[in-house]
Amino acid sequence: MKESRYYSRLIWSMLLLITAAGFFWSGTISITGEWFSGAVASVEKVSTDTVVTEEDAELKLVPAPRPTRADYPDIGVSSRSIVWVVAQMHLFFGALVLAVPLFVLVIELLGVYTGDSRYDDMAHEFMKISITAYSITALFGGTLALALFLLYPDLMTYLMRVFGAQMMVYAILFFLESMVLYIYYYGWDALRYGNAKWVHLSLGLLLNAVGATLMVTANSWATFMMAPSGVNEVGAVIGNIWEVMKGPLWNPINLHRFIANIAFGGAVVGAYAAYKCLAARTAEARAHYDWMGYTSNFIAILAFLPLPFAGYWLMAEIYAYSQQMGITAMGGILAWLFIIQAVLIGTILLAGNYYLWSGMSRTEGSKRYQGFIKYIAMVLVICFLIWVTPNTLILTSGEIAALGGSKHPLLGALGIMPAKNIAVNLMLIFTFMSFQIYRRSDKVATVSWEKAGNALMVAIYVVAIVNIIFAGVYYGYFTNTVYKVGSSVMQVVSTLTVIISGVVLDAFLYRGAKTLPSHWGQVSNRAQYALFALPIAFTWLMALMGYVRSSVRTHWHVYTVMKDTSPDNFIPTIGYAGNMMTIVTVMFVLFVLFIFWIANLSGSKQLPPYAINKVPATERVGGAA
Amino acid sequence: MTTNLQIWLAAFTIAFLYFYGLDHFIMSMQGLPINMDFTPAQ
Repeated sequence: MKESRYYSRLIWSMLLLITAAGFFWSGTISITGEWFSGAVASVEKVSTDTVVTEEDAELKLVPAPRPTRADYPDIGVSSRSIVWVVAQMHLFFGALVLAVPLFVLVIELLGVYTGDSRYDDMAHEFMKISITAYSITALFGGTLALALFLLYPDLMTYLMRVFGAQMMVYAILFFLESMVLYIYYYGWDALRYGNAKWVHLSLGLLLNAVGATLMVTANSWATFMMAPSGVNEVGAVIGNIWEVMKGPLWNPINLHRFIANIAFGGAVVGAYAAYKCLAARTAEARAHYDWMGYTSNFIAILAFLPLPFAGYWLMAEIYAYSQQMGITAMGGILAWLFIIQAVLIGTILLAGNYYLWSGMSRTEGSKRYQGFIKYIAMVLVICFLIWVTPNTLILTSGEIAALGGSKHPLLGALGIMPAKNIAVNLMLIFTFMSFQIYRRSDKVATVSWEKAGNALMVAIYVVAIVNIIFAGVYYGYFTNTVYKVGSSVMQVVSTLTVIISGVVLDAFLYRGAKTLPSHWGQVSNRAQYALFALPIAFTWLMALMGYVRSSVRTHWHVYTVMKDTSPDNFIPTIGYAGNMMTIVTVMFVLFVLFIFWIANLSGSKQLPPYAINKVPATERVGGAA
Repeated sequence: MTTNLQIWLAAFTIAFLYFYGLDHFIMSMQGLPINMDFTPAQ
């Protein structure tokens, strides 16, 4: 029995390695098969003909279409608005259904290693939300495809020609994803113990591998439109499918979306747990959903911490690809949206921190750390205010005259990136500090080197904070631009050092620690409302940044290759975009409420008519709370 | 016998040396060397 368990683990570890290696190794794959791209095939056929010169071959390449305004169907409503809403809804739900199985797999694995069945039950319940969301994702995906083919036929014809059979691979993967997802969810109880559990875990791994492949495939379409590769200046395909997919922005988007999806998924299931916690009728149910909410918040915030760095990489690559595109995003018409982004991220961090501080009331040991909270809150608020300080103000001529220029004499210095880099990094460090004191609050270290370990942790915090402020102020304001940009990496690495060393040090410091009792469910209702704030802010943020990402193409369908000549070929006003983002956010929240209701409904059971009279009135609506 | 002061001094020395080395490493890795006093070397 022991031996078979060993083999199960071995096989599973190998599967994990193969999956990971597959993604890393994919960087060197070169797909040249004819069936992958019709255009490439035609080039290869031409090149084998020795009589035809290279110039002739180039002439036979098919350029991107150049549609006129009349080529766009007019259905009486803005085509862009329709596609905007449907695409955004598809992306919201796609993010949710791809992310949930990722942390469900980790939670399930935790359950196997700890032998605590609560983990398994929680993972199963998370999947219940994902399974309903999956159908809605598919429905919006289908609607999006129909809308695109109807409203933008020339663009879709071109993209089909560029990506060729890769689109069919996507469809096959979608079928595979559906099959594995249903087996994974409905086979949960059938494959719960012993070797069967490892089969179930392997299915979870396969589900995530297929899901991640689906995501990166779809990402390649979006990044091709932003930064086309594998095509010439008129859009004719000259590379193979791999060269088309692997554009300069593909991997930054892949990483950014991968991390963001986890944070978003964690926030949405956190709201579900909060809803169930508030509606719980028994102390046991409240404790369970309180714990579930805590886990969800943990996932959301932990995934959120490295997200700004992935975003930074993406923006750096955008600037490297096209400075004009970068300036459009961060220095032109879209720059003000980054102030709104700061407000939303600030909301997320404040809500996440508030939830942790409230949750500290679950254990008496937290009294040791409660004194820190006011200082953490103070730093977060100050940094938040620095982050939302705009570089330029919208002023009347009278106001400019009174101010002595378009920038405030004191606050103007806070409007540029060095100040914001300091603020963001400090907010992340202090959010991690909230995490750390929360996790320490129910433990008492017993190792002999506790004092030295704590001193080192404090020293790392202090020196890292000084380093971040020094790098931001000195290199940001007193040296040249190159050093200003380069020093931001120092700040990022300092923040990561704090997070990694905090996790590692605590793992050793609290080995064999005395655990103080935690009372799950003993938390204020206000903390649960913070869990509702998180997904709403995340959703709005995704809508906002999705709009920015898409708008940087300005009047191009495919940047520099295929012009957008439709009636909507302009960047809409911020007010209009804000309304669209709000509409999609409200729609998503309504759909999520529907999913929660469906998930709740599946646990309810109506009593048979003959039994009603025998049951007290308060218990007549049966089912789990 | 290690005193509290010695522990704190050792902790801050380790942290300082680590971040000092890290700053030099990160900047030189990007082709932006810095002098001992952190001023740009280019």
